[in-house]
Amino acid sequence: MEPTELPSREKKQGEAEQGPAEAPLAMPKTAPPREDVTPLQLFWEFFKIGCFTFGGGWSIVSQIEQNYISRRQWMTSQELLDLTSVGRSLPGVMIGNVSFLFGYQIGGLRCGYACVLGIALPPLLILTFVTTMYSMLQGNPYVLHAMTGVRAAVAPIILSAAAMLRKGALERPACWAVAAGAFLLSLRYNVGSVQLVVLGMAAGLAVSWWDKRRGGRPHGAA
Amino acid sequence: MVLLELLWSFVKIGFTSFGGLSMIPLISDEMLSHGWMTALEVSDIVAIAEMTPGPVGLNCATFAGIRAAGLAGAAAANLGVLLPSLTLCAAAAVFFARVKDSELVQNMMVGVRPACFGLICATVLKLGATNYSGPALPATAAIGLLDVLLLLKLRWSVPRVLAVSALLGLLLVH
Repeated sequence: MEPTELPSREKKQGEAEQGPAEAPLAMPKTAPPREDVTPLQLFWEFFKIGCFTFGGGWSIVSQIEQNYISRRQWMTSQELLDLTSVGRSLPGVMIGNVSFLFGYQIGGLRCGYACVLGIALPPLLILTFVTTMYSMLQGNPYVLHAMTGVRAAVAPIILSAAAMLRKGALERPACWAVAAGAFLLSLRYNVGSVQLVVLGMAAGLAVSWWDKRRGGRPHGAA
Repeated sequence: MVLLELLWSFVKIGFTSFGGLSMIPLISDEMLSHGWMTALEVSDIVAIAEMTPGPVGLNCATFAGIRAAGLAGAAAANLGVLLPSLTLCAAAAVFFARVKDSELVQNMMVGVRPACFGLICATVLKLGATNYSGPALPATAAIGLLDVLLLLKLRWSVPRVLAVSALLGLLLVH
């Protein structure tokens, strides 16, 4: 399994050396690969995140944004959106997928596995506890009230993730239309995320083709 | 071999679902047909999955695994449900890392990013509709508004916001 991570790293390093002028296809602010982050560190980072992933796993996006994009700039918000949409459209547990993709991009396969293990362990430990205390916790009013408060926090947490990701998502005017379309399709017609991602791909190709035909701005310009 | 059965059941669940509540019907089928949970327990686990951190898939795996075969069962079931992340997603990651700078993929991403953004916004509204309803309404709306302020204006971290919200839930919800 190890050799597979080498090409991607070498490629990334090559990119960084080329600089922005020679890499018109790359995103302008692609973060350099992290050589200094060990799988163990990532495991611990994601273990901490795993203790607070309420609300269908979306808050992981919000925590990654806060911890690694706003503060430490390990990645651009566009790259996080890319990971999210790829992870969301593959089968399985979404936070497992997003964690893996994040770890892989930071430091290859081993970091990817470290992130999945880190994010999955807290729910396992906490639910082991909850399952054994099930009958005690079930009707406890204090637990219920505290959890009502926690649930009230979930929508704002995801909203804050959306607010931070907005700039990377809506880089061209046409993107607003795509976002509005996806929003309506999901909200009104319950269209699944896989279908939305596929529709988004088609829309992206159409938008880029239209821009090119009109001789507008060069590809990839933000 | 209840461990292998658990593993296989959750491998099936993992590979045929796309996260979140879309897993519930599959999980329900597998749990009932093996007798690992009753219908009532399945609906309880959905509530528990919302109360505790972690996604529904992992929480169901742990709950069913412990009921069927203790901690080893929980580990087997978790491994099963995470297998798509560890295999399919790993392959996709290697592939995506190779192609992500190609012009075709970059052009596609121009549309995928706003689509994903739209999906996130829709999720906020969907969750809001369920979490800000019922008898606790004035209190939950107040907590929600305060959280928006804490997150967007004061840039509080997610764990701190969750802790404050839980405390306010204890104080305000009756």
